[in-house]
Amino acid sequence: MATSPSQAPNLVPALSAERAVHWPKRVKCKLANGLEIVVVESHSIPRFHGQLFFRSGNAAVSHRAPGLAEMTATMVRTGTAKRASRQIEEDLRRLGADLSSSAGQDTSAISFGGLSEFAEPLLALVNELTREASFPEGEFERERRQKLEEVKLERTQPGFLAGERLRKVLFGEHPYARVSASEAQVAAYKIADLQTVYREAYTPENGTLLLVGDFEPKAILAIVEKIFAPWSGKKPAVPAAIAPANPRGRRVYLVHVPGAVQTQILCGCHSITRRHPHWVKLGLTNSLYGGAFNSRLVMNIREAKGYTYSPRSSVNALQQHGYFSVSAAVRNDVVAASLTEIFYEIDKLRSLPVPESELADAQNYLTGVFSMGLATQDGLLSQIGTVALNELPDDYLETYRDKVRALTPADLQATAQKYLDSANTQIVLVGDRSEIETQAALFGELEMYDVQGGRLS
Amino acid sequence: MKGPQIAIEQKMLSNGLRVVIAPDSAAPVVTVGVYYKIGFRLEPQGRSGFAHLFEHMMFQGSANAPKMEHIKLINSSGGVLNGSTMYDVTNYYEAVPSNALGRVLWLEADRMRTLKVDDENLNNQRDVVKEEVRVNVLNQPYGGFPWLDMPPVAFRNWANAHNFYGDFADLDAASLADVRAFFKTYYLPNNAVLLILGDVKPEEGFSLAEKYFADIPAGPKPPFADPAEPVQTEERCGHVEEKFGTLPAIAIGYVLPPRRSAEWCAMGLLDQALHGGRAGRIHRNLVLEKQIAVEADGGVDDIFGYNGPAQMTTRILHKPEISADATVAAFDWVIREVQEKGITADELEQLKIKWRSDYYAMLEGGRGGYMPKYGLMHLLACFSLFDGEPQLVNAILDGFLQVTPEQVQSAAKKYLRKENRAIVFRSPANLGVKEVA
Repeated sequence: MATSPSQAPNLVPALSAERAVHWPKRVKCKLANGLEIVVVESHSIPRFHGQLFFRSGNAAVSHRAPGLAEMTATMVRTGTAKRASRQIEEDLRRLGADLSSSAGQDTSAISFGGLSEFAEPLLALVNELTREASFPEGEFERERRQKLEEVKLERTQPGFLAGERLRKVLFGEHPYARVSASEAQVAAYKIADLQTVYREAYTPENGTLLLVGDFEPKAILAIVEKIFAPWSGKKPAVPAAIAPANPRGRRVYLVHVPGAVQTQILCGCHSITRRHPHWVKLGLTNSLYGGAFNSRLVMNIREAKGYTYSPRSSVNALQQHGYFSVSAAVRNDVVAASLTEIFYEIDKLRSLPVPESELADAQNYLTGVFSMGLATQDGLLSQIGTVALNELPDDYLETYRDKVRALTPADLQATAQKYLDSANTQIVLVGDRSEIETQAALFGELEMYDVQGGRLS
Repeated sequence: MKGPQIAIEQKMLSNGLRVVIAPDSAAPVVTVGVYYKIGFRLEPQGRSGFAHLFEHMMFQGSANAPKMEHIKLINSSGGVLNGSTMYDVTNYYEAVPSNALGRVLWLEADRMRTLKVDDENLNNQRDVVKEEVRVNVLNQPYGGFPWLDMPPVAFRNWANAHNFYGDFADLDAASLADVRAFFKTYYLPNNAVLLILGDVKPEEGFSLAEKYFADIPAGPKPPFADPAEPVQTEERCGHVEEKFGTLPAIAIGYVLPPRRSAEWCAMGLLDQALHGGRAGRIHRNLVLEKQIAVEADGGVDDIFGYNGPAQMTTRILHKPEISADATVAAFDWVIREVQEKGITADELEQLKIKWRSDYYAMLEGGRGGYMPKYGLMHLLACFSLFDGEPQLVNAILDGFLQVTPEQVQSAAKKYLRKENRAIVFRSPANLGVKEVA
């Protein structure tokens, strides 16, 4: 287990004075049509990165069909009024660009990056995909077949099966419970339904354009204005989602994969969104528990006991709700032992104050890693994206580190008691029931499912 | 088109450790790497997977930083760290706020000087590595495909053909004596390069490097088993069962020209013509147009990062109703087309623009969203250890931008031959029928 640094106090070089962290200026503006824009200069390489995202994802349309926003996003790059699929792909290459279009639970996004010298034609292509996608019949049939194979393949991946079951358990009737479509649902997708999603969601009032890279903000804004100003469209109505029930007590959900040579553990409970005032506290608590290499969970079940390669805990912040989760893929014969340690470490954080020195280490880790985003265009894009999507205050980047440093052992203990909800944490196990059923049953009432989601017992 | 020139300074310490510094003060972050010229290709016979297991041991304790201390000191300095084992090199790297540079260099020097591990550490990491193999290979659909499936089919020299992640029996056989011998043989300052990138003044970096590393004794030049392959004269095929996945998979690999030759540059662009995303000829033909495959991608993995036989490998998941024969025939049609008709000047121009853009992105790029300048570090390290010329990072692009359409066509004719390739069929167990191409 961890040894104290005092064993070699005279040898470890002290840290020198920290160089101040200066976040670059974010130039923000809003076009008359409602499109929000955030631009940041970064001249590290002669490229730029961008994202145009819309505040509508799969959750907003899941009452029509699961994964509909994702399928829409997939189709967006397959043809426009002006360019066929092949032309789009070759034009991207000609601009030295990469582009992807996808949707999650809360957003649909076109992400792109390329040479700064071709910023204007690339933005023009993004604009075309956003406004003039033509949803060709042949491309749709092909993409749908690929999606069918994809949803079949997902059911052979332990990580997917665990995540799917945990979402169902935590979110019940809420759209967040539906992470993927069934084969039958994919087969029933219709072009007209995708076009409806496209028309509703891909509008300037619903959109934010982020650009980071090697350009002058004024010049790039002039280009953006020229290209995107003629666009128009309203924010879509969002159906009200019912609040999911927060499951009480601890239950065990076993997804049976015959022949699995390892068990995927995924435990979770409800927590908070990114906008919640306790977010920073929970972030630090998570980091100390299992969010970093040097965290209690990793030290325990990997470095001391060798049960697993990649244990991890995370706070998963969706727009309407969040959840805390702990994952580890472990040897079949140590499933019970691993769960015991996972809950031991949670309960310890809830019961005992964190030693000051360990708290300081975790604070240094989180603040250091936070400012690493400064060093790359991608890192900056990801940071300003978090701020924009969650409508965080303008000074979020500048003040985050001080907020982390202000936290005390009492803050962490209170946070653990509130959000690392040990007694109401749900346990999902994906593995071979003949190897792990007895161990699973030790931790709560057991429900068993097959990989298709059918109840076994 | 003149791209960004990376400022590089280098020095050789008296013990043979090369120190390469690429200063850039834009952000208060520094990335440090130590690369050793030993990868899984040259691990001892009967010890498959050892180079990777050994990499884990490098985090288990050194003379003044006992188990967990290394990780704890980096994380608590605000930094991240990792290591990885490749064909011909093993790397250890950290990205930290620049005020922790001295501490990081001290830690890297401490474990280059003395590895201090015991049987308990070894047993612990053996268990961890087995779970790593299970989570990435044995318990995943298409796990290890094709990177573990291809070498035993394609190659005849054990160095290139064995299981790099390790057979469990070999992992079990590894002893503390093996760990000590491997460390003593390969983990020498004169078999390594130290890289410092980002927020560092070169004179400060060199002086810290001197302070912490200069007294680590050099050792005899490590013996290198020759990884050269006997000349291949026939197409090679192999079959692997897919335990979980639902689609038949095929991997086709062609051996590459010698690195840094003109043919190698032409092959790099040919690879882009074939595999460059959705515009690439293979994806376009097999997935978008003929719709035989659901996925068709691949290419040369890390073209700058190997120093022995390597392949350009296509990975195809095809529809179950299409036979493996028909799939390979469709693939062959794409290959024949480029051999017979070559590529146009316009296509080559597109490929070069994309190549240049990708190269810049790689220089800055992190690894999985962190570790700034990982790509630059990797290139500087490989050009140092393989060529003794880290400055190649500013020149290597030129060779690719000078390639002509004729060179691409002639590389296609010379290297994309059946006698220069290997095919692996990975068929789902539940399909029952084993097809043969």
